Amino acid sequence: MRSEDRRTLLFAAGVCVVCSLLLSTAAATLRGRQERMAELARRLNVLRAFGAEVDDDRGRRLPWEDIGALFDARVEDFFVDAATGEPVEAAPGVDAAERVERGDWLPLYRWREDGVVTRVAFPVGGPGLWGPVRGYLAIENDGVTIAGITFYEHQETPGLGAEIETERFQERFRGRTIRADGALQRVVIVKGAVRDRYPDGNPHAVDGISGATRTGEAVTEFLNEDIARYDVFLRRLREP
Amino acid sequence: MPSKLKRVAVDPLSENNPITIQVLGICSALAVTVKMDTAVVMSICLTAVLALSNLTISLLRRAIPTRIRMIVEVSIIATLVILADQLLRAFAYDISRQLTVFVGLIITNCIVMGRAEAFALQNPPLPSLVDGLANGLGYSGVLLAVATMREVLGSGTWFGWRVLPEAYPGNGLMLLAPGAFLALGLIIWAQRTLSGHVEND
Repeated sequence: MRSEDRRTLLFAAGVCVVCSLLLSTAAATLRGRQERMAELARRLNVLRAFGAEVDDDRGRRLPWEDIGALFDARVEDFFVDAATGEPVEAAPGVDAAERVERGDWLPLYRWREDGVVTRVAFPVGGPGLWGPVRGYLAIENDGVTIAGITFYEHQETPGLGAEIETERFQERFRGRTIRADGALQRVVIVKGAVRDRYPDGNPHAVDGISGATRTGEAVTEFLNEDIARYDVFLRRLREP
Repeated sequence: MPSKLKRVAVDPLSENNPITIQVLGICSALAVTVKMDTAVVMSICLTAVLALSNLTISLLRRAIPTRIRMIVEVSIIATLVILADQLLRAFAYDISRQLTVFVGLIITNCIVMGRAEAFALQNPPLPSLVDGLANGLGYSGVLLAVATMREVLGSGTWFGWRVLPEAYPGNGLMLLAPGAFLALGLIIWAQRTLSGHVEND
């Protein structure tokens, strides 16, 4: 082997070693903090769906410590059996994340006011127009009325479909219902305004976003699928 | 400051701006300029990566074997970019979510590799560091100008603060990619008119 070739190989190896050492050190030191941030972000989004006050007067988000504390004070994770809607406990030796993955359990959140559960929330999500959309839907403890919704992950068109992440759009869901006379109803994001489409009104419909009809259709689709999946639990909320 | 170093520092801000004159790094200039927040963080990341990659490559310039020159440059740049991305995820979570893939795409930003090839390989560390910083700032200046036009005209806000009356409906075009092309075109036009730059065929 010529000495020039050997030098080239050694140099390349040196660069690789130094770069990988740097990157693995950074990944190892920062991982804890990154995971904490991801967890706090999840809590923030659940709080938003519940309609909690997470922004100050100027519309800036509260500091992360307050978000964590608010979540701990008001919200509780729990799981129900996907087939029966019975609450289930994560006993020792039972991996909740794995049960959820397999579809046996459904993850939920409870919101307490003065110690009484007034709302529940669950994750919703599916394909949007351009990419996956994820969010949380909160329902009043009557199992009928929508308490709030939030979308925190999407790749919809800025200014059009991306409006689903705005407060202005999300608040249209508040007070709409998912059920009439005990039967699940289709929640729809209409094209245009609800009053044009349903002159007599429709308590299950919300105004669409102009220019984002297909995002609305996609969201409508997965929203109803998710509500149907949780219906086994939501129905029980109405029974005494 | 010696006059040569001063030229290195000042040229990229206007006379030889990486975006408006060299027309490099356009894709990120389009993608992250809907809001000021993201544009500022992107500017900081790119400037830091560019300065450090120029410095490192200049320090190694006599040692890097010519045949694997480019792959070494890319390795150094990629390492710095991944570091920047990891730091953002740990310390500026909200913004890192909004910037999504675009921090990672600094690796393919032509400005970084372009400055390594055109400057850092032939020059000592100090001028290379200055060149990196100056080109980064030149890029940042244009990015912030485009983001200002887009956020103000598109949403009526600046850094999230309302600057136009609540009644302003927002110009949706400015929020889409074509809006960035319009803003960028206007800036290039204005800048080239002012500096008298003429394209040579």
